[in-house]
Amino acid sequence: MEMEAGCTSASSGGTQVHYHPPLQSRAFYKFTQQNLPACRPQLTPAWVIAIFLVTGVLFIPIGLVCLRASESVVEIVERYDVECVPETYRSNKVAYIKNSLITKKCDRLIKVQKHMKAPIYVYYELDNYYQNHRRYVKSRCDKQLLHGLEYKHTSSCKPEEYNGGLPIVPCGLVAWSLFNDSYTFVRETVEMKVNRKNIAWVSDQQHKFGRNVYPFNFQNGSLIGGGNLDPDVPLSEQEDLIVWMRTAALPKFRKLYGVIEEDLVADDSLEVHILNNYNTYSFGGKKKLILTTQNWLGGKNSFLGIACMVTGIICVFLAIAFALLHVKFPRPQGDPTLLYWNMKNNIS
Amino acid sequence: MMNSMSVPSKRSTLERKLDKLILTLFGGLFFMCLIGAIGSGVFINRKYYYLGLFEDVEQQFNPSNRFVVSILTMFTLITLYSTIIPISLYVSIEMIKFIQCAQFINKDLRMYHAETNTPALARTSNLNEELGQVEYIFSDKTGTLTRNLMEFFKCSIGGVSYGVGITEIERGQAQREGRALNEIQKSDTVVYEKGFNFDDDRIMRGAWRNERDPEIFKEFFRCLALCHTVLPEGDESPEKIVYQAASPDEAALVTAAKHFGFFFYRRTPTTVQLRESHVEKMGNIQDVSYEILNVLEFNSTRKRQSVVCRYPNGRLVLYCKGADNVIYERLAGTNQDIKRLTREHLEQFGSSGLRTLCLAYRDLTIDTYENWNEKFVQAKSSLRDREKKLDEVAEMIEKDLILIGSTAIEDKLQEGVPDCIDTLSRAGIKIWVLTGDKMETAINIAYACNLINNDMKQLIITSETDAIREAEEKGDPVEISRVIRDSVSHDLKRCLEEAQQDLHIFGQKLALVIDGKCLMYALDPSFRVDLLKLSLNCSSVVCCRVSPLQKAQVTSLVKKGARRITLSIGDGANDVSMIQAAHVGVGISGLEGMQAVMASDFAIAQFRFLKDLLLVHGRWSYIRLCKVITYFFYKNLTFTLTQFWFTFHTGFSGQRFYDDWFQSLYNVIFTALPVIILGLFDKDVSASLAKKYPQLYKEGIRNTYFKWAVVGVWAFFAFYQSLIFYYFTTTASENGHNSSGKIFGLWDVSTMAFTCVVITVNLRLLMACNSITRWHHLSISGSILAWFVFIFIYSGVMTPNDRQENVYFTIYVLMSTFYFYLTLLLVPIVALFGDFLYLGLQRWFFPYNYQIVQEIHRDEVDSISRTEFLEIGNHLTPDEARSYAIAQLPREKSKHTGFAFDSPGYESFFASQAGVYVPQKAWDVARRASVRSSKRTSQR
Repeated sequence: MEMEAGCTSASSGGTQVHYHPPLQSRAFYKFTQQNLPACRPQLTPAWVIAIFLVTGVLFIPIGLVCLRASESVVEIVERYDVECVPETYRSNKVAYIKNSLITKKCDRLIKVQKHMKAPIYVYYELDNYYQNHRRYVKSRCDKQLLHGLEYKHTSSCKPEEYNGGLPIVPCGLVAWSLFNDSYTFVRETVEMKVNRKNIAWVSDQQHKFGRNVYPFNFQNGSLIGGGNLDPDVPLSEQEDLIVWMRTAALPKFRKLYGVIEEDLVADDSLEVHILNNYNTYSFGGKKKLILTTQNWLGGKNSFLGIACMVTGIICVFLAIAFALLHVKFPRPQGDPTLLYWNMKNNIS
Repeated sequence: MMNSMSVPSKRSTLERKLDKLILTLFGGLFFMCLIGAIGSGVFINRKYYYLGLFEDVEQQFNPSNRFVVSILTMFTLITLYSTIIPISLYVSIEMIKFIQCAQFINKDLRMYHAETNTPALARTSNLNEELGQVEYIFSDKTGTLTRNLMEFFKCSIGGVSYGVGITEIERGQAQREGRALNEIQKSDTVVYEKGFNFDDDRIMRGAWRNERDPEIFKEFFRCLALCHTVLPEGDESPEKIVYQAASPDEAALVTAAKHFGFFFYRRTPTTVQLRESHVEKMGNIQDVSYEILNVLEFNSTRKRQSVVCRYPNGRLVLYCKGADNVIYERLAGTNQDIKRLTREHLEQFGSSGLRTLCLAYRDLTIDTYENWNEKFVQAKSSLRDREKKLDEVAEMIEKDLILIGSTAIEDKLQEGVPDCIDTLSRAGIKIWVLTGDKMETAINIAYACNLINNDMKQLIITSETDAIREAEEKGDPVEISRVIRDSVSHDLKRCLEEAQQDLHIFGQKLALVIDGKCLMYALDPSFRVDLLKLSLNCSSVVCCRVSPLQKAQVTSLVKKGARRITLSIGDGANDVSMIQAAHVGVGISGLEGMQAVMASDFAIAQFRFLKDLLLVHGRWSYIRLCKVITYFFYKNLTFTLTQFWFTFHTGFSGQRFYDDWFQSLYNVIFTALPVIILGLFDKDVSASLAKKYPQLYKEGIRNTYFKWAVVGVWAFFAFYQSLIFYYFTTTASENGHNSSGKIFGLWDVSTMAFTCVVITVNLRLLMACNSITRWHHLSISGSILAWFVFIFIYSGVMTPNDRQENVYFTIYVLMSTFYFYLTLLLVPIVALFGDFLYLGLQRWFFPYNYQIVQEIHRDEVDSISRTEFLEIGNHLTPDEARSYAIAQLPREKSKHTGFAFDSPGYESFFASQAGVYVPQKAWDVARRASVRSSKRTSQR
């Protein structure tokens, strides 16, 4: 990309050839004589400086815009995995989560610092959770998700393929370990509506999960991995499953839980009723609840902006440094004394 | 048979080094897998309940047996990281080399010899880049450097030098010193005949009669016409006569006499008959018969030849011709002027590469002659030591000679040889001449080719010394070998000392001359190291009187002992073993049979084409292949490392970052073509500049472009770029990416990363190019486009077979976000930032020589190539053009039909039928071997 700009001269296509052998087109003749018209870019200091400058000038504004976009996002992060465990169980959280007799209800209070404009997105964030583990990633059957029980070749779903001799729909570890914490938000005793529709990518919903496929024999085993599904709702409508099944790239990930369609005003206090069902205590994973607004660039992530800014600044800085260097210690272009055979003569 | 060797299969040094690189990559692969394997053993744990690690889990994930987990993960990772090994590299290299041979070398007009209608021919596609790294050239003399054509070129008569011709070497010298030669236009009536290339108005066409002292001219011409052992054949007319001579020099001298008006047309047992143009009157001719009384023949110790003849008027004269030192010893003490002037001329002739002979005569009285003749007859009829006695008797009469002058014969060099040798030696290539000829001839040719000049110190190791000769006369083989051995050992030590002194203290250039007999002993393992050390210190080496096998031995001495890249060039059957022994064998195609060509790797029509073959084709091939290899290394490493970083975030489970098809097609489609285009079209400097600055070639000899440091730099940037690709795309993907707040999954991120990799890697190639043709643009944009077309289709369809629908719709999802475009802009630029900075700084502060040459000729590059192009176009006449076109047509390959009558032994078959013994020739065997080898190469 940069080099194209460095072209100094392009040979004219109209090179006159007095003779070229018959049977060969002129282009082929030039090819065999290795004389194709070419541009020969040379990365001279001037070009280096110019390219750095252009890159810098390009990236600094982009970085600024990105940073601004990221800054304009209001985000509230609430970690609740530790706080939600009763004091008595703090030393043995696994026992707490596995004991179905203990209520998992947990109330947290969130203070809104800044005005948040609707829609406000509710995410949960898990840490140290390897959704990208090879065993986990492949333990699913996309065909079954689309076609349901008709589809029999579900061996990839092991070890969650059959239960009691009957196939499981949806099969596989991914579905089995479905996240099942739930959140309700109460503002001044009024429960806020959380829209849990339209949280999955449309392509997944329409093409990867069947409209006529209903959960079957799901979460009936001796070991319960996670959330259960309503057997009367087709998979294509089970959006939390669809979201969950788009496995994350990194062991720390966020997934969309729902959307609050009302504005939150600064100094509002929200009461969150959490059903802390999901076991992340076995492997020491964190759980976080996130409320955030979005803009054209997405959520709060200053990385792109900072990266652009830093790149731009470094480029401009280098351009200036090189320009100074060029003024102070210019290397004459095409100085024959720099050729090694000439240098040797100078020394001796 | 003794001189032939088993046919070696040749691989280029670069490829050998490439093997080492691949081995290193295997090491790297193993290391990465080991890290992953250990990690997986440590990571796997039942606490990750969502992984379903129940009691009956398969061995690969069974936390109860971590060792097995590690081992099995290791295998998984090997398949995962296998992309680090550039398998397609070998295919690409073969393809590039094949096209370089078939289209570039074979069709290069600069290496097309119009006279014989021979284009260059690459007989193997293995060694193109080897041509760019040659440091030693071993050349045969006759037929390669010279045309084996002797021409009477100049003479010095009575202290005056005649002949207006200018030798190639004088021309070269003048050119180097920048002075113009006043080249005299040859008169229109100039006669040219094989063996005679002389013109001087002062003596041609009888004009010598007007010179100051016509008598001495007569003696000169008569000496030429009488003192020889030539036999005339054919019609006795000046136009049709053919002279049969033991050496072409003699024929040239007699031919010269003919043109000066002393036509030798008949020899009888006792007389020589000349048709002389009349001494006084122009135009008259008369036949004169001279009685030849004695012939004192030439041999290598005497270095002279004499005849005693009687004129029709009874005058007795001894004519003598020979080497200057033997003649000068035997001159009468008079006329110092002529002696001095002639010596000056001899030196002039010698330094312009001409072969000289001194001519002298002596008038004999009848008494002297009679006395001497008795002794001569006696010696001639003696039974013991006849040769020696004859020599002694000859000494008695070959004295008190009167110097007439000298002749200078040009051993006609092939066209452009001195210039080519000069260019090659400026390129840092050392040229050794290996010849079967005598030492004097070899040295002479070395002068003529500019290999040796008077500024150089000659170190001579010869078996022609008194001690050795004495031992040989005694005839005891054990004693002879001991004496030679001692003298060789002594000479080697002495020369080595001198060499070290001269080279390091005075900085003088050295030339080593060694003859075959000494070489036989010097190649002995105990002296081999000394010989090698000595010869590597010399700027040129001449080996004379060597056998074909010794040629091969010398070649492999340098090849194996010095570990330098060698090239042998020769035209005849006696060069076959040398051609096979060297890294690269070049055959001169055309005149002397096909044996050398059949054994060679490249065949060219003229020695001077070596310049194009090495400096242009070899150099380009080397640079291109280095780039191709390092680039391949880089692109696979970058790709694999992103995968490697991902492994750390997946619990070392061996999960793929990229979809299977991305990984498979990465090398096959998305990055395949541009690198081939680079391997075909990259030109750092144009062909004419490569020849104008032959020093650029040294970068190949030093292997500047494929050192570990170079590979290290690429590896460093591969490392850097892979980190950028992985961390930029993953870090930036953590939260929602558009106003709908939806989150990316693994495959969205990996598709993003892969897009960045494909674009960056292709753009990086563009940065590595020195010249960018439209094919570069087409292939690079085509590759990137191919990726997008592929991903649009691939992620747009649901396949009916059982496939994980991983990447379904990912690209559309990605393209619906600003994140995609921003990342696409940012990541390649940040990734290439490092390379760009490096390239910029490198060119700025540590420029390669070629880069400076580029800068010097920045604006004229194209115009130069255009004029050169025109020249090539122009120098072909329509006829030549037609024959070139015919030469380029696909030829019917002559395959071995099994028909045995053309077997090399047929001559001896008929001969033995006729009862004549014809010894089988060594090269017949060699030829058969080379036919086999050529078949093998053609099958590759």
